[in-house]
Amino acid sequence: MITFAVFFFFAAIAVIFAATVVLHRNPVVGALSLVASFFALAVMYVLLEAPFLAALQVIVYAGAIMVLFLFVIMLLNLQHQEEPRTRPVQQFLGYTSSAAFGLALIYYLAKFGVTQLPDGPFVSDARTVGIRMFEAYIFPFEMVSILLLAAIVGALLLSARTGATGVAPLSAGTTTENLAAPHDAAPRIEVAP
Amino acid sequence: MIPTHWFLILSAILFTIGVCGVLTRKNGITIFMCIELMVNAVNLTFVAYARQFHQLHGLIFVFFVMAIAAAEAAVGLAIFISLFHHRHTIDVDEANLMRW
Repeated sequence: MITFAVFFFFAAIAVIFAATVVLHRNPVVGALSLVASFFALAVMYVLLEAPFLAALQVIVYAGAIMVLFLFVIMLLNLQHQEEPRTRPVQQFLGYTSSAAFGLALIYYLAKFGVTQLPDGPFVSDARTVGIRMFEAYIFPFEMVSILLLAAIVGALLLSARTGATGVAPLSAGTTTENLAAPHDAAPRIEVAP
Repeated sequence: MIPTHWFLILSAILFTIGVCGVLTRKNGITIFMCIELMVNAVNLTFVAYARQFHQLHGLIFVFFVMAIAAAEAAVGLAIFISLFHHRHTIDVDEANLMRW
């Protein structure tokens, strides 16, 4: 019975903080609410007998990804920027269509979803998940590592500032300028005195 | 033991909240956070069905979804930084160059 109390408490926390992300105007408050919602979801993973994924949820999502979001929000100083209001017709259409979508989803889950309890305990610690991953899923694992490398390169190239005010972009022209610079600079030093 | 369909209903509610945020908000980073919310709702569904059918495939899929969400967040936030440098806003209505 205590597990039901834990489930409802943390389900309420997850839903309330997720609603705060959508409804609050300040993106910093939204990001911190999302962290709280992710912690509640980690508790859900513990209730689903997946403690390894609960740890991953806290470390990767609440730790790494949300810190990246908060870092970008603080870097761009977005907490002072006023977000323009959504037009009332679009807001109404968005709320009603998403509510209809959610009600349909819940209706069909309640109608056709599985209702019997799973039989027996489910072992999903780090050892069993790791053995399965590095035996059957080794090729997708390597693909994901290549994808992460591509994402790093893409993020670096996209966030490098281009133009007059910023740092020079990573292009082929910079090396020739650097090579040409000492020859241009040397006569100027002699002329100046 | 808590029945599986309760987790599925919670996941449906969280996914709906994420859809609502993507449809109604204009701040690009808030839209991104709502997408993360939807990804997490789907992850909860994966783990719930993995326990229901005693299969480890769902858990491993959640691992891959987390890795891809991290890559997506890095590239997307870099796009927003670049957009902010060019337009001085991250209002998604301002980025309308490729609109019809």
